[in-house]
Amino acid sequence: MSMKVTGMKCSSCGTVSYPTHAVCPSCRNETFETVVIEGEGKVLTYTDVYALAVEYETRYLRLAIVELDDGVRVTGHLLADKPKLGMRVKTTIGTVREMAEGAIQGLQFVAV
Amino acid sequence: MKSVYIAGAGMTRFGRSEWPLMQLASVASLAALKHANLGGVPVDGVVVANMGAARINRQTALGSALVDQLALYPAAAESVENGPASGASAVKVGFQAIASGMADVVLVTGVERMRVVNGMEGTDFVASLSHPIAEYIYGVTLPSLAGLFARLFMEKHGVERKHLAMVAIKNHANAAKNPYAHIQQTITMEGILTLPEAVVNNPPIAEPLHMFDCCPVSDGAASLVLVSQEVAAKLKGPKVRLAGMGQATDTHTVHERKDPTDLKSVRIAAEQAFRRAGLKPEDVDVAELHDAFTILEIAESEASGFFPRGEGHKALERGDTQLGGRLPINPSGGLKAKGHPVGATGVAQLVELTWQLRGECGERQVKDAKIAYACNFGGFGNNVVASVLQREA
Repeated sequence: MSMKVTGMKCSSCGTVSYPTHAVCPSCRNETFETVVIEGEGKVLTYTDVYALAVEYETRYLRLAIVELDDGVRVTGHLLADKPKLGMRVKTTIGTVREMAEGAIQGLQFVAV
Repeated sequence: MKSVYIAGAGMTRFGRSEWPLMQLASVASLAALKHANLGGVPVDGVVVANMGAARINRQTALGSALVDQLALYPAAAESVENGPASGASAVKVGFQAIASGMADVVLVTGVERMRVVNGMEGTDFVASLSHPIAEYIYGVTLPSLAGLFARLFMEKHGVERKHLAMVAIKNHANAAKNPYAHIQQTITMEGILTLPEAVVNNPPIAEPLHMFDCCPVSDGAASLVLVSQEVAAKLKGPKVRLAGMGQATDTHTVHERKDPTDLKSVRIAAEQAFRRAGLKPEDVDVAELHDAFTILEIAESEASGFFPRGEGHKALERGDTQLGGRLPINPSGGLKAKGHPVGATGVAQLVELTWQLRGECGERQVKDAKIAYACNFGGFGNNVVASVLQREA
């Protein structure tokens, strides 16, 4: 799968935002370039969720907010057996949800 | 701006109900109207708060439907959907109508009937308020956002699971004194945390949050009658003024907030509400906070201005927030034990506080309460409505 998760880089102040907005939250400029959201970072927080809204194969889902080294933060699936606050991870892309329209690809984090 | 008074307050018991949506709304509304005892003064406007009826009950335009049930034509009517803050948002719409002089009497009713769908569908309907691309597709639910928030908050401020349990134990004990509460069962630290069987009694929902850290899924309705000063002057009964309201928003995703543990929207909404009321957090005698998850009661008690940052759990430990303490929080049982019919919650918080300020709360009455505060927390903190109430003579 060649799917990429993308955010926006403000063409005026250079702030990278994820997810995208119609207006730059930093300087209110309205023109952007698309940037790929990927790389290494650290786990800011995580949770194992047992109360799931849809059918997942697993009993629980391990979700995390990761702060990438460029400062951008993302929410995704943490694929690590022994999660810890601050642990180093890198992004990959995989199936994060099965919906009526098919498998949804999104960000996953693996230990580095 | 003209002054706005709460002349009457009523609600249904929260829990599982067999009543259709509009019956819930009607029962609460009639209770509030009876409480207000308006005599011949007509109702000018009706505002209905609800989040999920379009999806889970296949009904829309609830304002018009309630006018019809109560035969209040030709009163103006609208419906407000603002996620879990729908209730207080609807109160704000009524407040604005009276404060602007457009209306003299407005009925505000919050209603939700969510137990008609299974737990998974109910969770999914509420999760639809999360960011569609950056959160929802990952299976993000409200409990999961609360879990992410709780782990960070607890790490930062030294809050332990025993503190979360203290919130639950306190609110269950309060709910046991509230005949309108969904859950009327007291719990103990041993049963939910320290005994070996606690792992069975209190399974994880979204670590570090467990079952007794999360509110139940409830059906129910709550209703207020708002009136102008002119109408209030004609009515018998205690005068409760809706002294100030505030509202603030924040980023849609939790991860985009510079410090995700800082509930900036609560802080700003509370500051506005207190400023408009001409009062301060230290003036408050009783508060209802949006404890959909136990961690939120602690975090909101700080962000609302009652305790310094990082010290909410210490106030809890000291017993400050229990009935009889310095500032009782959630005497109704809170969302945690009174229940959380989403669209009704923000109205129900103000129903409890109106009753408290009128001295009508029986066993859970906060003695001589004169000033009250409510925080209705929408999204996961991306839309918050705060209210300050004051008892006059």
